[in-house]
Amino acid sequence: MIDKDLFLNNKSYISRLIIGSGKYKNFDETKKALEISGAEMITVAIKRTNIGQSYNDKNLLDYIDPLKYKILPNTAGCFNSEEAIRVSLLAKELLNDNLIKLEVLQDKETLLPNEDETLMAARELVNLGFSIMVYTTDNVSLASDLEKIGCIAIMPLASPIGTGQGIINPNNLKKIIHNSSVPVIVDAGIGTASDATIAMELGCDGVLLNSAIAMAEDPINMAEAMKHAVIAGRKAFIAKRMKTSKIARASTNKKNSIS
Amino acid sequence: MKIILNGEEILINNNISLLDLLELKNISQKNIAIEKNRKIITKNSWRKEKLNENDIIEVITAVGGG
Repeated sequence: MIDKDLFLNNKSYISRLIIGSGKYKNFDETKKALEISGAEMITVAIKRTNIGQSYNDKNLLDYIDPLKYKILPNTAGCFNSEEAIRVSLLAKELLNDNLIKLEVLQDKETLLPNEDETLMAARELVNLGFSIMVYTTDNVSLASDLEKIGCIAIMPLASPIGTGQGIINPNNLKKIIHNSSVPVIVDAGIGTASDATIAMELGCDGVLLNSAIAMAEDPINMAEAMKHAVIAGRKAFIAKRMKTSKIARASTNKKNSIS
Repeated sequence: MKIILNGEEILINNNISLLDLLELKNISQKNIAIEKNRKIITKNSWRKEKLNENDIIEVITAVGGG
């Protein structure tokens, strides 16, 4: 069976891996990791510019070719819908695009999504013409509500941001995937390549990760590992795995055995 | 006069534009967006947009994030 590309906001993507641009040692490392990961979409945060820096200091956007990569701005650091809408509007002005990763958090300690404020922000941003890829909990009914509102991708966490604990609740994730008719992309909590593979084997349409690459001892090798992990998981999902069995079954046919 | 630029109070001369402010503070015009008193000022208006006492200016850009 031939796989379809991932389709988001009128654009198709061969790679189902989306990477974040935070926590790298420098912009060169970000660029190298992006290139080797095969990702075609990279997230950025929207923050105050550093007034004290030299006029010629490089900006992250100088390192990402907008013709080659889709830049996905996020609303990181927002704790209510008002802040998230404000940041979304600034992102639209900066990047001249209506695509946004909506992320409204509960508190600084857990970094878990604030479900009520996420819903409120999503409603308003859809009205303002944004295409929203929404970071959410693994709450099945919330995911469904966010899709009904008009979000173009549902992005449930695997586990809390930056923890690298992998997929804590695969059952909820499977239910969200089953119910959703828009892409489901696991966002946050992926720790290593096998986590990304499992997410894809469960049927996720993509994986978004940042720390798993940037905080690995060797981010460039991990970026390459993630590329293969996502491809392997997707292919396994498409291939449909064998049924498990409680009893051993020999791989060799008994017929014509010498004993 | 006094304005707030990215959260910090600064003193500037009267009758300067947003574009003047960028030049004054050595801020590159590339890869930024600007808000004045919570309203986005598009790039083609930076030259004509004059600053007033107590204006709150936010100059934003893209930084690393996940």
